[in-house]
Amino acid sequence: MAEQRLVTRTQFPASAESLKPRLKKAPEFPILEKQNWLIHLHYIRKDYEACKDVIKEQLQETQGLCEYAIYVQALIFRLEGNIQESLELFQTCAVLSPQSADNLKQVARSLFLLGKHKAATEVYNEAAKLNQKDWEICHNLGVCYIYLKQLDKAQDQLHNALHLNRHDLTYIMLGKIHLLEGDLDKAIEIYKKAVEFSPENTELLTTLGLLYLQLGIYQKAFEHLGNALTYDPTNYKAILAAGSMMQTHGDFDVALTKYRVVACAVPESPPLWNNIGMCFFGKKKYVAAISCLKRANYLAPFDWKILYNLGLVHLTMQQYASAFHFLSAAINFQPKMGELYMLLAVALTNLEDTENARRAYTEAVRLDKCNPLVNLNYAVLLYNQGEERGALAQYQEMEKKVNLLKDSSSLEFDPEMVEMAQKLGAALQVGEALVWTKPVKDPKSKQRTTSTSKAASFQQPLGSNQALGQAMSSAAAYRKLPSGAGGTSQLTRPPSLPLEPEPTVEAQPTEASAQIREK
Amino acid sequence: MAAASSSDSDSGRAESSEASSKWLDAHYDPMANIHTFSACLELADLHGDGEYKLVVGDLGPGGQQPRLKVLKGPTVLSESPLPALPAAAATFLMEQHEPRTPALALASGPCVYVYKNLRPYFKFSLPQLPPNPLEQDLWHQAKEDRIDPLTLKEMLEGIREKAEVPLSAQSLRFLQLEPSEMEAFVNQHKSKSIRRQTVITTMTTLKKNLADEDAVSCLVLGTENKELLVLDPEAFTVLAKMSLPSVPVFLEVSGQFDVEFRLAAACRNGNIYILRRDSKRPRYCIELSAQPVGLVRVHKVLVVGSNRDSLHGFTHKGKRLWTVQMPAAILTMNLLEQRSRGLQAVMAGLANGEVRIHRDKALLSVVRTPDAVTSLCFGRYGREDHTLIVTTRGGGLIIKILKRTAVFVEGGGEAGPPPAQAMKLNMPRKTRLYVDQTLREREAGTAMHRAFQADLYLLRLRAARAYAQALESSLSPVSATAREPLKLHAVVQGLGPTFKLTLHLQNTSTARPILGLLVCFLYNEGLYALPRAFFKVPLLVPGLSYPLETFVESLRDKGVSDIIKVLVLREGQSAPLLSAHINMPASEGLAAA
Repeated sequence: MAEQRLVTRTQFPASAESLKPRLKKAPEFPILEKQNWLIHLHYIRKDYEACKDVIKEQLQETQGLCEYAIYVQALIFRLEGNIQESLELFQTCAVLSPQSADNLKQVARSLFLLGKHKAATEVYNEAAKLNQKDWEICHNLGVCYIYLKQLDKAQDQLHNALHLNRHDLTYIMLGKIHLLEGDLDKAIEIYKKAVEFSPENTELLTTLGLLYLQLGIYQKAFEHLGNALTYDPTNYKAILAAGSMMQTHGDFDVALTKYRVVACAVPESPPLWNNIGMCFFGKKKYVAAISCLKRANYLAPFDWKILYNLGLVHLTMQQYASAFHFLSAAINFQPKMGELYMLLAVALTNLEDTENARRAYTEAVRLDKCNPLVNLNYAVLLYNQGEERGALAQYQEMEKKVNLLKDSSSLEFDPEMVEMAQKLGAALQVGEALVWTKPVKDPKSKQRTTSTSKAASFQQPLGSNQALGQAMSSAAAYRKLPSGAGGTSQLTRPPSLPLEPEPTVEAQPTEASAQIREK
Repeated sequence: MAAASSSDSDSGRAESSEASSKWLDAHYDPMANIHTFSACLELADLHGDGEYKLVVGDLGPGGQQPRLKVLKGPTVLSESPLPALPAAAATFLMEQHEPRTPALALASGPCVYVYKNLRPYFKFSLPQLPPNPLEQDLWHQAKEDRIDPLTLKEMLEGIREKAEVPLSAQSLRFLQLEPSEMEAFVNQHKSKSIRRQTVITTMTTLKKNLADEDAVSCLVLGTENKELLVLDPEAFTVLAKMSLPSVPVFLEVSGQFDVEFRLAAACRNGNIYILRRDSKRPRYCIELSAQPVGLVRVHKVLVVGSNRDSLHGFTHKGKRLWTVQMPAAILTMNLLEQRSRGLQAVMAGLANGEVRIHRDKALLSVVRTPDAVTSLCFGRYGREDHTLIVTTRGGGLIIKILKRTAVFVEGGGEAGPPPAQAMKLNMPRKTRLYVDQTLREREAGTAMHRAFQADLYLLRLRAARAYAQALESSLSPVSATAREPLKLHAVVQGLGPTFKLTLHLQNTSTARPILGLLVCFLYNEGLYALPRAFFKVPLLVPGLSYPLETFVESLRDKGVSDIIKVLVLREGQSAPLLSAHINMPASEGLAAA
């Protein structure tokens, strides 16, 4: 026994073993895949330096024949951003073993990352011939077709991928296609299925919530955003969207508490500071509002919504000259919004530049289709200028819009605006304005609770119209009316622009289309 | 608000101290020089004396000196060099009879080395893979000199591209050779038979026929050629062979070989395949769409860590149960089993130096270590039942003992709202100046606005005038005419009194070269001297920037400086195409001159 053991022991060390063949003429060849497992372990543990060392060693030993070492080296190159190098290495792999679908997949992936979508689809199709049941190939082909703007083909491929194996990513891409096509309902359908399949994916939940928000289905939106926040209480998008919804409901303190989490995670987010600013605005802390909005503006100087809010807050602070600058900047970025011109006109009126104010109003009236405030304010200006006929025309225009709004929705009007309109009506001797009968009944109870009591039906997608209305009515009230109205008016609600939903839901599709255009 | 935050942080501190108090720090050696993976860590009663040792298949620093280390307590009991890097270590009982000391198996390269009583006992080599018959035939022909090296190469190339069975290392090397070296290579190697060997990538144990803790176990090997082998514990013959679609990285087995077992194999393609006793091919497949970094079975749940920093729980049929996001990359995972309390949980070692212990979704405890955790192991060590062994990236070894009174409760980690919610917002401050300005604007807003507008008009007017003037006199450094699109910029180098003036002239048209240009300098001759004030420009190829150098000598020593005008002209035209004004620096080298 002891002898036997001794014998085995002498056989044991490899040095003794490897010496023998070396003495002969023909040397033993090292096993090519000897350290593949080690390369792989280092790779998945993200220890890329160690990984590269092993790869180098193994490639030297096998004179560049070890396919897996090259493969991982290429993967690392790609992670480091050297996509061209990675592509070349993957092509080497594909030469070393031409029957492997995986190598082709990686070649295609690198091509895709280089923006060569056409070439990528060709290689993916090649790979699909070798392996027909791979969801990844179908999925990536679908993504390539999205970039090539062949949305039908993309849909087919993505549905194929789902058929083979369901993955969250595929659902997300399918949803994006529907968004690109502008079909919100279909997108929601897809995301609903996706959420059913993986109910804990916060990205899916958030996106679905934002889509509902866009459609104005606030109950469901809040439900999904809330779910997302349960699973990930620090989800940036979900917090911003949920916070903006809270803001529209007037829960500024709750929203602010939520924003703190985001402020910690993404301190340089312009929409975040915009929303915080508007929270303070709602709480009537105007100075804080201005400083937060200015930070937002500093972070995103080209965002017209922030400029709009800044203009609004400055109007409230009676800083008309500053308001003018912010509003005119906003108009430069967004020249198609009637309300902006109206605010500009209010600023100009207060700066005693009636002529330009009137021109701004004309533009506002031309652009705006549904906001009665635009006409009301214009009418007030005209009336103050002594042009009763023009004022009357605007007043009637306003009544038309009001009637239209009343028919289309159960929207309630800001009591302040109603009061102003009635005063103007009296001054113009139009008689009792019938249009207001309904809201005027109990204007007081609505002073603060308008939004909370009728939340679902009340809000409009952008949320800003309403806010604007309020702001405008207050601005209108600054004007001295002959009837002695006016005085200091209070802003009941701030414009809580759900800024985030827009960028998150829409920005991605537009990004994609932008890339396509570049191609 | 302040009170709330302080109480919060208090509770946080209490929590962490409570969590750490579950563990006794038994040993910490940052220089233990142990570099290994969880697969190469094993706790076992190697000598049958009830004193459990730690077996480490050590890669050595930089993976250079593989060693087998056995530790008892904090000290290294024995250390022996290994022939190759160890891929996995396992201890198992080979036979029924007493004394029941477990054998130690170390997988390395194509072999499993089996030790008993820490002495080499047996070496198992993976069976040779069947060579490609065509390839074998070709080399046979070569041996009999019926085929010349070039044809051999062509034929082998053909096989490589089409065949299912890959070529041997010998043929692959041959294909890489230069034609001149082929002859010698063939002569040297033709007499050898073709051999194909594969490598073990992972190894685990599987009970043979009893579920007892001290029952005889088989070794289960995963190999580089996508196969799983089950070895007989006594005879070391291959009992079963299963094939996978990819190379296995981690294995997890439950059940008994002779009765029924389930085998989960995490593979390099990011999928996890689940096999059963009677299946030669995978029954279920879990597609992670990321790389698995660890696979642990907790009761009936397969817990997988992915390289996207998340833990997933799956059933044995591949249905996803839950997902937990980790704060950092997962480096390694292992099972924590506290038999006395019937607790099984998964430990995940993270790149940020934490070890997180999860039971399903719930975080039970967080152990913080000073470095990134590379391997983990929990079990009986020495005479202590519940010991946690941790090795860190720098080669450190940490041994912690779980207190006998310690009870893991859910929510031992983080719960409730994220801590950031209690932080105060970083609000920009309002300044005195700001308030003053606001007040002033309120008082005199209209005046400010008017003044601003008036100034703005003036500014625009001036800008327009200057622009018009520049256009009229070709003063701009960029010429946009269709025939001669040119760009000019000038650099002045030197301290004086002699300066070097370099004009960079670029033809910005896409295709057409420009010929027949002249450069002219206008300067105050009392101040500066130039060797040539007027010269011809060579042909300008589109796109290239031509540096045209000239020296400028400053003649005055009073530190005066002036403007030099550069005009680019076309031959036969008096109006310049473009011009530049160069503000010469004051000469600083005058004192010396």
